[in-house]
Amino acid sequence: MSLMLEVRGIDVFYGEFQALFDLSLEVRTGETVIVVGPNGAGKTTLLRCISGLQPASKGSIRFLDQPIHRLPPHRIVELGLVHVPEGGRVFPNLSVMENLKIGSYVRGARKEFRKKLEEIYELFPRLAERRTQLADTLSGGERQMLAIARSLMSKPKLIMLDEPSSGLAPMIVTLLLEFVARIRSQGYSILMVEQNVRKALSLSDRAYLVESGRIALQGTREEFSRESYIRKAYLGL
Amino acid sequence: MEIVFLNALVNGILLGGVLALLAFGLNLIFGVVKVIHMAYGQCVMLGMYVIYTLKVIYGVPLLVASAVSVVIMGVWGTLLHLLVIRPLLGAERLNQLLALAGLIVVFENLAHVIWGADLRGVRVDLPIVSLGNVFLKTSNLLAFGGALVVLGILYGVLHKTYVGLAIRAVAQDRECATLMGINPGRIYLLTLTIGGALTGLIAAFFSPIYSVHPHFGGSFTLMAFIIVVLGGMGNLAGGFIGAFIIGVVTSFAAVITSTEVAEIVALTIFILVVLVRPQGLLGARRAR
Repeated sequence: MSLMLEVRGIDVFYGEFQALFDLSLEVRTGETVIVVGPNGAGKTTLLRCISGLQPASKGSIRFLDQPIHRLPPHRIVELGLVHVPEGGRVFPNLSVMENLKIGSYVRGARKEFRKKLEEIYELFPRLAERRTQLADTLSGGERQMLAIARSLMSKPKLIMLDEPSSGLAPMIVTLLLEFVARIRSQGYSILMVEQNVRKALSLSDRAYLVESGRIALQGTREEFSRESYIRKAYLGL
Repeated sequence: MEIVFLNALVNGILLGGVLALLAFGLNLIFGVVKVIHMAYGQCVMLGMYVIYTLKVIYGVPLLVASAVSVVIMGVWGTLLHLLVIRPLLGAERLNQLLALAGLIVVFENLAHVIWGADLRGVRVDLPIVSLGNVFLKTSNLLAFGGALVVLGILYGVLHKTYVGLAIRAVAQDRECATLMGINPGRIYLLTLTIGGALTGLIAAFFSPIYSVHPHFGGSFTLMAFIIVVLGGMGNLAGGFIGAFIIGVVTSFAAVITSTEVAEIVALTIFILVVLVRPQGLLGARRAR
């Protein structure tokens, strides 16, 4: 499998505070990789750094063999790396359909907007029912669905999901992770930060554990689930 | 007396149309870039001088002069963004406000130096239309109709095109908009250019109605600001309704008393809104 995303030795600071330390990570084509770890470990910062929202002071990030760590976020999306931020950040005063349309803003995605929209409505019938409603009126789970659907509109190659299940009821979490599994089966590469380790691990190929801004552990799904530390701290076994 | 009131009502509505366009520009800039363009009315004033100069001094037909004014004021808006607003985007709110308020002095004195303090008017003879006992100036009707058409076009652009959606997305959540592939810097520039072109257009609507002088813009900046606050800052629909309320109220106040009192009434409404309902009639929901 060829390398899709390669993060090499990045340091990230918020003012004086260092959030990430010499962190490296990679995603190969077609892979689903999850990043787990406690709150405040730097998982969100990692995704923000990859998508260009937060600069790295050291290290490099390559996407499809192209350095992206000095590109602004809007250029990175154009390359096919899309970031779904935490909490289903949809545009509250745009309708469901308008949110999806803005998802296809990047060059190369606009032409296929209609076709993509039909695909999305098929995949997420709930969004089709609510197409004219303002995103503000959706439930938390629907917003998260809309945010994921919106990211698919840009014809991405790699989708980064930041805690898609956060703040949702267990039933909705199951539903959402089913959607992620379906997207995965369509051949997208996925890098997902998730608190719900047991469920996320089951649909991943590989996993990283981030603690205090460093990679504490990494391995395939099987290796990860066997690790006694993971079993105790994250899987409750 | 009833006829006087009826006239006031109709003229207030006509004035409201143009005020709605003025408030739209101010609102759009505030909603997207989050700065208050304190010298917005002064830009209209400069646009009117552009039309005056072209029409009266160079003998250019009014329509052409108006079109040129739209272009020049659009470029003026672009320059304003590049030279004043963009360097201050990361600055304190108060500093942004002071810099833009400073432009009032700059623009008014610029007009003073170039065109002097006298009233300058574009002479156009347009007939007065009468509907029963209501008398309407054709120039006011044209301004009203033109303003509504332009507002309709702008509404369509904001709702139907990618660039319009991008403008609304940046207004609601700038960071998330960048994750959609939108370059917010370009959207800011575009917003200020559209906002500038609108001042040129409003100048074209005003030119046949009013004579211009260096302090002409002040009361319109104030009026636009009052409307925007009344409707809810950044709320375009609220601004539209607010414009007609202020148009009619000031028109009535002017008929009953005088234009000076009309401004007092408008300001009183402003203070009441700030005290009682600071989020405005249709308080803008906060983008997260």
